[in-house]
Amino acid sequence: MAACADGGGDVMAESNLMQGNERMAVLDERARKAEAFLLREARLLDDERWDDWLAILSPDIHYWMPGIENRRREDRLGTYSEKHMAYFDDRLRDIERRVARFRQPSAWAENPPTRNVHLISNIEVFEGECSGELLVYSCFMNLRSRGLDEQHQLVGRRVDVLRWEDGRLRLLRRKVLIPNAMLLCKNINTFL
Amino acid sequence: MTKERIPLRPIDTTPPLRNLDRICDMESGRLSGKVFWDDEIYQQELEKIFARCWLFVAHESQLPNAGDYLTTSMGEDEVLVVRQKDRSIRVMLNACPHRGNKVCFSEAGNARGFICNYHGWSFGADGGRLMGMHESKCYEESGFDKSQHGLRQARVDSYKGLVFATFSDEAPSLEEYLGPMTWYLDVVLDMDGEGSEFFGGCIRSTIECNWKVAAENFVGDILHGGWTHDSAARAMLGSAVANVSDMPESYSVNWNGHGYEFGTDVVGNAATLGEKNINKYLHTIRPRVAEHLGEFRSKLIGAISSATIFPNFSYLPGQNTVRIWQPRGPHKIELYTWTIVNKSAPEEIKDMWRKGCMMTFSPTGVFEMDDGENWEYCTKTSRGLVTRYQDLYVGLGMHTRIDDSELPGNVFRGQINECNSRAFYQRWKDLLEAPTWADVPDRNGRMR
Repeated sequence: MAACADGGGDVMAESNLMQGNERMAVLDERARKAEAFLLREARLLDDERWDDWLAILSPDIHYWMPGIENRRREDRLGTYSEKHMAYFDDRLRDIERRVARFRQPSAWAENPPTRNVHLISNIEVFEGECSGELLVYSCFMNLRSRGLDEQHQLVGRRVDVLRWEDGRLRLLRRKVLIPNAMLLCKNINTFL
Repeated sequence: MTKERIPLRPIDTTPPLRNLDRICDMESGRLSGKVFWDDEIYQQELEKIFARCWLFVAHESQLPNAGDYLTTSMGEDEVLVVRQKDRSIRVMLNACPHRGNKVCFSEAGNARGFICNYHGWSFGADGGRLMGMHESKCYEESGFDKSQHGLRQARVDSYKGLVFATFSDEAPSLEEYLGPMTWYLDVVLDMDGEGSEFFGGCIRSTIECNWKVAAENFVGDILHGGWTHDSAARAMLGSAVANVSDMPESYSVNWNGHGYEFGTDVVGNAATLGEKNINKYLHTIRPRVAEHLGEFRSKLIGAISSATIFPNFSYLPGQNTVRIWQPRGPHKIELYTWTIVNKSAPEEIKDMWRKGCMMTFSPTGVFEMDDGENWEYCTKTSRGLVTRYQDLYVGLGMHTRIDDSELPGNVFRGQINECNSRAFYQRWKDLLEAPTWADVPDRNGRMR
């Protein structure tokens, strides 16, 4: 239970993310709040409301999007691993640095802006590992457009741990998995 | 018993392109966007550069055990890189000599051999000889000689962990190919005498740019650093990058189209990771580096610097990113990115580099985001016919050569200097124009 008190371990270990069907589905008011949380988050990102978005992150956040590897089924390393390179392997400090870049007038590649749409679906809410936490699965589709003819799509799954902090839900942990072992675009200049 | 192998079919050679002077004149530092756009030029590059040069394929640390393999490409040719039982590393085409299908579909792993999914042609880990296939008795009955068939092998050599390969029999030795650049490579590969390793796997992405735009950026363009990356520097350091031209001592060096631009500021690149412990680590080991490599090179271990080994292997000391720009047509590259660390570094320092490398120079890196954007449009504007012939100025730093430098290679004053770009494009042009390796001129000591 010590792990719960300080907001979880250093990494988003699989043990902290038990399969949903082994857990208790949450079907009450909390499920609707979790869903509303994710939908609002998507809107905040699309609108570049960085302060409002940062405010829904827990100070203890671990935001992780591992690189996907194209390995054989029998390879014990699997499709991704904690010790390998990740698109995001961020604590709050790192996320704030990314946001700080977006805000610079000299972020040349962001002016004119990239236009984003985050679609969120397949939301399932379960009891979390610790009290006051929810385990939330979702899928996303992110469509970005830049200039006149640039368009990039990323689709993937997310596993989130949301925690009640001071009466509000905050994002404590996120794992983002895309199916692509090679990113078919030049960058990910958004959060997923 | 073993019969001699039927000689491999030679790769068809086409006549070199003419009139390249018109679009690439490094005497006067003039280039044109046509070199980034034309498919005809690209096809010549595959033949006269990528099928001839030594190309980076792996770091030995990626293949610790016999049977460990990874897949990559040499130009557009897909290859397997495999550690053998005798500890040697073999590089071979990842294409079955029956119908040409890939024999290995995973990016890395361990295997005793490779079996084609199509008709079961199977090869041992050395790939050199066909072992058997589905319905093999039918082959035996027709007098088929298995020993005549295997996965086509490349020449392989390595320098302090970096494994290079070439499909050219006439290419000079790797030692000759790299020349004095190894003296500078040691700063990253062997700073404390205990070697280096790749750490944390590989990230792959695509950029819609010509491969030369990226390779040239690393060969000697620090000029863009203070401007392009202003936003990232402010985000990571809390302030703008200092003007590189104000740095007290810096150089550009090149050899055979390879290039390295560097300051002597010890931790300028490393500082962009925003991890004090990395700077501290570099300062702590610096006396050991000075003992091993001398005082001068100990000032380069994390300094503001970048390098390209011709044609498409690049790295940044300090950020410790190592990458290869895989050509995919004239207007696209696949970018493979790794993190390199000292073997002797503490585990938590290695891990900091793994994260820091991704935070700065990767598809989500705050620095690289602005690079990708520039490189794509440096390529795409050449779609315009008139634009394609517009002069691009590559003349910065003419007449800055230091003739009496004690440093190895062709040495130039200052790192804000396009001498390495000129040397890169000159080598590119020389290779395209040369019918054979013997015809490639030696420009060392003569470039301005």
